[in-house]
Amino acid sequence: MAMPSTTQTADGTTGAPVIEVRNLGIEFQQNRKRRLSVREMLFTGKSSSPAGTFWALKDVSFDVTAGEGVGLIGANGCGKSTLLRLVAGVMLPDTGSVTVRRGVAPLIELTGGFLGDLTARDNIYLTAGLHGLSREQVEERFDEIVDFAEVRDRLDTPFRHYSSGMQVRLGFAVVTTLDEPVILVDEVLAVGDRAFREKCYKRMEQLIGEGRTLLFVSHSEKDLKRFCTRGIYLRKGEVVADGGIEESFQAYVKDSDKASGK
Amino acid sequence: MLMLDRARELVERRSILRLLVVRDLKVRYSSSALGYVWTILDPLMMALVYWFVFGFIFQGHRKGLDPYILFLVVGVLTWQWFNGGVMDTTRALQQESKLVRSTNLPREIWVLKIVFAKGVEFLLSIPVIVLFMIRYGVPPRWDILWALPAAMLLQTVLITGVGLALAAVTVLVTDMQRVVRILLRVAFYVTPIVYSVDALNQHPALKYVMALNPMTGIVDLYRRCVDLRTPSGASAFDGTAGWHVPAISAVVTVALFVLGSSLFRRLEPAVLKEL
Repeated sequence: MAMPSTTQTADGTTGAPVIEVRNLGIEFQQNRKRRLSVREMLFTGKSSSPAGTFWALKDVSFDVTAGEGVGLIGANGCGKSTLLRLVAGVMLPDTGSVTVRRGVAPLIELTGGFLGDLTARDNIYLTAGLHGLSREQVEERFDEIVDFAEVRDRLDTPFRHYSSGMQVRLGFAVVTTLDEPVILVDEVLAVGDRAFREKCYKRMEQLIGEGRTLLFVSHSEKDLKRFCTRGIYLRKGEVVADGGIEESFQAYVKDSDKASGK
Repeated sequence: MLMLDRARELVERRSILRLLVVRDLKVRYSSSALGYVWTILDPLMMALVYWFVFGFIFQGHRKGLDPYILFLVVGVLTWQWFNGGVMDTTRALQQESKLVRSTNLPREIWVLKIVFAKGVEFLLSIPVIVLFMIRYGVPPRWDILWALPAAMLLQTVLITGVGLALAAVTVLVTDMQRVVRILLRVAFYVTPIVYSVDALNQHPALKYVMALNPMTGIVDLYRRCVDLRTPSGASAFDGTAGWHVPAISAVVTVALFVLGSSLFRRLEPAVLKEL
């Protein structure tokens, strides 16, 4: 078996898939408590919580080519978000590998980079900078970001005084102005008021229209069908169906109907 | 080789590292009215307390160099960087967990930014030392030209190594932070801050054990920058001062760095699952 690895390389040669996932597996502790207290470490050397692990993802393989819109479908806890994080490189696999050949704009934890004590203006520069934009690039896009998030009149307000909806709006605006050709979305479209949601949809469609590659996690049938042409259905960490979005979604619906019918 | 790859990646992202350091300092200084004064006030008060206790009350048995208050200020400010750096790096990953989980940067960056932010604070506190030197008419020594950069480099490497290990371990082991706090307090007295390492000249074996503590040599290097005197009035660092102590420190520092960074790499997958 190959060494587990997550690599992101910039030199994407045309033809090669943008995202290449091979035999990917990741193992979690059953109770999600891996931490030891010092007392446990000293006296027993073991965690006091019951042992046991499970594979959140097992032997997952697929390729995504440039410009594809791929939806990840499945019940809660089936490994969708974990898979997204592995592709984003913010988690490391226990087995297999993820290769991403282009830059990634992760719409995961959108407000993670923002600091409550700084103003929105400072926060925009910081977060965009963390995602790799230079100061000049941010200046160029600053107005676009501010207009999209509709926060112009509160630019110098400390970020913690923003409502949670406004915080997410700003996060979405910053991350979607990145030029990265691969976009990862983890159910962030469900936030914001109606008008803003519609704006987000438009922005997403525009990005897809530009030929970006999309990996999309959602429970909403409507959203999935709107943005994705292909669907990957995960059940308990394994790929059950990988095909057209319609077929994959039907497979999921059939499964969950069967489960609730029992 | 893996380590070199990481280092290269970090060098490529140095602009992001700078951004994070500036952000840290900005937050720190925008959220308190006195800002800079706090960074200086705390160590200065401590130096005064030690001066009162050891320089005044225990006057006859003092084991430091003259002027004692300058000797203390150099030691305490140096310790402040180490202490603050280590305390903050234990929380490095948890504090920024949202960012760690949403941006694919080399994870070492979260530790490094703390080391550098604290380093900048140390640099900003150097004028205080200069003021004390002027007040007591103590000139710098020529050694400052290499001893100061060497000391700062060693200290950066040391805090980074210790910080990498602690940042990762703290995510996996709860109450590590409390352990670290206690150990740091002990380490303060085991490190020659309120006394000189030469106070142990009658016990050479013990002196070399003390030298295994890398901060011993680092503090010694800082003090070589200033023309401190022994109680008899002789210049403390001319000719007689050996190089063993800083040399041992350097070796231990590098070893801790290698250990810390490989531990960080090894624990990284587990840490990311836990955050």
